[in-house]
Amino acid sequence: MNVVIVGGGLVGSTLASKLARDGFDVTLIEQDPAKVADLSEHLDVHVLIGNGAAAPVLRRAGIENTDLLVATTNSDEVNMVVGLLGTALFEVPRVVARLRDPELAEGFGLISKDHPGEYVQVDPERAAVDRIMSLLEVPGAVDIVHFLEGRVVLAGFRMTASSDFVGLSLAHIRLMFPATAALVAAIHRGDAWIIPHGDEEIASGDLVYFAVVRDELDNVLALIDAAAERRNRVMIAGASRIGLELARRLEKGTTQVVLIEESRDLARKAEEMLERTLVICGPVTERELLEEEDIGRVSTFIAVTADHEVNLVSSLLAKRLGAQRAFALVDNPALANLIGEIGIDAVISPRSLAVGLMLQHIRRGRILSVAALLEDKVEVIEAEALPGSRLTLGTLAELGLPRGVLVAARARGDKLLMPQGGDRIEPGDEVLIITTSERAKSVDEFLSAS
Amino acid sequence: MNPRLDLYIVGWLLGLTGGFQIVPLLVALAYGEAPAPYIASAALSFVAGAALVWSTRVRDWSVRPRDGYLIVAAGWIAVSAFGCLPYVFAGVAGPIDAFFESVSGFTTTGSTVLTGLDSMPHGLLLWRSFTQWLGGMGIILFTIALLPLLGIGGMQLFKAEVPGPIKDKIRPRLVETARQLWLIYFGVTAAECLLLVLAGLSFFDAVCHSMTTLATGGFSTRDASIGAFESPAVEWIITIFMLIAGMNFVLHYRVLAGRGREVLRDAELRYFLVVVAVATAMVTLVLLGEETESGVAFRHAAFQVASIISTTGFVSTDFELWPPFTHVVLLVLMMLGGMSGSTSGGIKSLRALLGFRAFRATFGRLLHPRAVRSVKYGGRAVNEEVLSSIWAFLTAYYLIAATSAAVITLWGYDLETAISASLTALGNVGPGIGEVGAFDNFSHFPAPVKLLMAFCMLAGRLEVFTLLVILSPGFWRR
Repeated sequence: MNVVIVGGGLVGSTLASKLARDGFDVTLIEQDPAKVADLSEHLDVHVLIGNGAAAPVLRRAGIENTDLLVATTNSDEVNMVVGLLGTALFEVPRVVARLRDPELAEGFGLISKDHPGEYVQVDPERAAVDRIMSLLEVPGAVDIVHFLEGRVVLAGFRMTASSDFVGLSLAHIRLMFPATAALVAAIHRGDAWIIPHGDEEIASGDLVYFAVVRDELDNVLALIDAAAERRNRVMIAGASRIGLELARRLEKGTTQVVLIEESRDLARKAEEMLERTLVICGPVTERELLEEEDIGRVSTFIAVTADHEVNLVSSLLAKRLGAQRAFALVDNPALANLIGEIGIDAVISPRSLAVGLMLQHIRRGRILSVAALLEDKVEVIEAEALPGSRLTLGTLAELGLPRGVLVAARARGDKLLMPQGGDRIEPGDEVLIITTSERAKSVDEFLSAS
Repeated sequence: MNPRLDLYIVGWLLGLTGGFQIVPLLVALAYGEAPAPYIASAALSFVAGAALVWSTRVRDWSVRPRDGYLIVAAGWIAVSAFGCLPYVFAGVAGPIDAFFESVSGFTTTGSTVLTGLDSMPHGLLLWRSFTQWLGGMGIILFTIALLPLLGIGGMQLFKAEVPGPIKDKIRPRLVETARQLWLIYFGVTAAECLLLVLAGLSFFDAVCHSMTTLATGGFSTRDASIGAFESPAVEWIITIFMLIAGMNFVLHYRVLAGRGREVLRDAELRYFLVVVAVATAMVTLVLLGEETESGVAFRHAAFQVASIISTTGFVSTDFELWPPFTHVVLLVLMMLGGMSGSTSGGIKSLRALLGFRAFRATFGRLLHPRAVRSVKYGGRAVNEEVLSSIWAFLTAYYLIAATSAAVITLWGYDLETAISASLTALGNVGPGIGEVGAFDNFSHFPAPVKLLMAFCMLAGRLEVFTLLVILSPGFWRR
C-alpha cells in the first residue's frame, strides 16, 4: 500500500517510521533540505524535497496511485490545502489531516463531503486535553485509555512499596479477587515492557496497567487502594491552547481551577475567556508563587506550557511542594523516559497521541482501532473476530498466542468479559488485544480470515 | 468647533418643535378648545427656527466631537424653551413654571408644577405627554431618523444622546439604527395603547398614558395619576410596559429579529430583573406587615417598584403612607434606574453592574496579589477606559445630587425632601418623598430651585457629561 505523508516534523517522521515498519511504501514530503537529509538517513522511506501544498509536488510523490495521504505539517492552513487537494483534486481514498483549529476543520469537512474519499481530522491538542481529562477522572492513575466505545478502561497505576499487590503473582491476585472484572494487561518495569503471564510478580516501582470494565472501575480502585483524592483543586501551568481548554472544561464542574501564565498578555486573554478560573500572572517555576497560591492543597498540578523542559521542572517543584499528582506535557521521548524515576506521575505527549490517532485511522479495517501506550512500545488493538480467523479456532489456551500478546477483553453485544484461558472467542466478538510493538505484526495472522 | 453648523441644526430642531406643536393644535380643534395658544407657539418656534436656518449660511459641514456635545446640549435647552410656549400662552403657568414643566416633559422626568389636571384642556394634556414621548427616544435621534439629508448622521450626536456607557448600533448605518429604534418605540406604544383601551380607558387617556409609559416619563392626565382609574388591569398593563420601557431597546430589536435566546443571556437584563424581583418582594413583605390584603400589596409593590426603577414616576397609591423602609428601597431604585439603551434615567443598570463587578475584582486582587482580574461583561473584558469613565460618571452624578440637595436645604426644606427632590430630578423619575411625595406638586419651590431642578433633569437625561463638558472652560478654549 502506498502512503504519502506531507510534513517531516516529529509526528510525520514517527508516523513514517512506524508505517514503514508495518510494511507500507511511504513517501515523505518535506520542505526543509536539512531535515530531508536527516530523514532519508534514518528512515526506510522515500523522502522528497518540496512544498506538499503544490499539486506538481504531490504528483511527483505519486499521489495518483496513493491509498492514503497524511497532512501533518506545522501549519493548519497548509494541512488543509494538502487535504483539500487530496480529497477534491486527486480523490485519494483516505486522507488524514492534522488540524488544530476546529473552526478551520468545519470548512474542510464541508468541501470534502462531496468527494468519494474518506477524510479524517486529527487534533493532537484536543487529544491531549481528552487524555488529561480522563486521567483526572481516575484518582491515582498515571495513564488512561478508553476502548470498545469507552466500556473498557486501560488504567496505569504506579505501585509503591506499601501497595498490597507488590510481591504477588498475577495468578495469586486472581485467586484473591476472583469476582473482579479486572486484568493486569501490561507492566512497565524500568525500561522494559512486559505483557504478563500468570506467573509474573508485581514489584515495587512497577507501572501496572489494568484492563477494567468501566462500570467496575470504582470497585477496582478500592482494591488498588488508589489514594482517595480531594479532586477539587487543579493548578494548570501555562495558558497554552491545551491549558485554556482544560481550564474551560474543568471550571464547568465543581473543580477549583488556578491557571498560571507568565506572559501578561496571554494571562489577560485567558482571564477574559474563562469564567471561574483564577488566573495568576507569574513564572510557573517560582517557588514563592506556587506557595502563595497554596500548592500544598492542590490535588493535581498540570504543566502544559510550550516549553517542555519547564513543564518537567515545574511539575517536580509542584510535587516537592505538596501537590498530590503532577502531569507534564512532554514530547521528547528521551525526557519522557525520565518521569517515573523523578517522580512525575504522568507525561502527556501530543505528538504520540497524534501518531496513535492517525494509526488508529490508517490501520482500520479488520482492526477497529489501535492505540499506542507510553513510548509506543505497546499497542492495544481493538478488532472484530472474523469467522474463520485463527482467533476463533479454539480456546485461548489452545491458540498458542505468542508471548507478548494478550486478549484483554471481549465484547459480545452488550456483554463484556475479561477472558480466561479456557474461554473461546466467537466469530463476531469484538476483542481487545494487547501486544508489544514487535509482536504487532503477528497479531494480524490471528485476525485475518483465512 | 463649527458654531454656524451648530446653530443651523438647532434651528432645524426648533422648526421641528413648531411642527410638533401642530399635534396639540389638532387635538384642541377636535375637542372644540381654543386653538390660539398652539398656533402662537407653533408660529413662534417655526419663525425662530427658520431665522436660524436662513441666517447661518453654513460653509463647513463637518461635525466634530465638540459640535456633537454643543448641538445636543443647546438643542435640548432650546427645544425645552420653545416647548414651554403652549403653557405660557394658555395661561396655566408663568415662564419659570412653564420652563420647568417643559424640561420635565422632554427629559421624561414627570415632576409637575401644574394642578387641576383633570379639568385641563385636552390639547395641553396631550402636549405634556407628547413632549415626554419625543424626549424618551431622543429628539436628536428622531431628527437623525427623519432628516438624514441634514447631514448630521454623526456618531458624535448619537453617542451624546443615547444613554449608557456602551453604545451599539443595531444596523450598519446610523440612520437605519435610528429608524429601527423609533419604529420599535412607536410599535410598543401602539400596543400598550390598544391594551389600555381594551382595559377600559378612554382613547385619549390610553394614548397619553402609553406615550408617557414608553418614555418612562410619568405625566398623567389626572392629579391622582394612575390611582385615579382604580383599575387593577390598567395598573398591571402599565407595570409590564414600564418594565419593557426600562429595558434596552436593542434587546427588543433582537427579540423581534428572532434572536430571543441571546437576549435571555444578557447579563444586564438578568441583573435588572433580579433587582426588580428582589425589590418587589421586599416591599410586598413590608406591606403585608401592615395588614394589607396580599394581592393588593403585591400589585402596588410591583407597580411602584417598576415605576421607580424604570424612572417613570406613575403613582398607583400614596406610597408616602407606607413604612419608611419602603422609602429607602424606592430611593435606592431611584438612583439605579433602568438599563442602558432604554428610555429611563438613573445611573443605569449596566454602570451599577460593572461598578459592582469592579468592586469584586478589587477584592480578588487583595486575596491573590498576582491574579489577573478584569471586569467582564458579555464574555469580554471591559477596557479600563470604559471603567474609569463609569467611575467618573458615578462620582459626577452623586456630586451633583449632593450639591443640589444642599442648595435646596438653603430654602429651609427638610433633608428628606431635598435629597429625594434632587435624586428624582437627576434620575428623571418624577415623584420623591416628603414635600415632593407621591401626590405632591413642585410648585411650592422658589424659582431658583425650579431652575436648579431643571438643570438636574437635563444633566440626568444627557448623562451628565454632555452638559458638564459644555460648562467646562476647556470646551470653549481654542
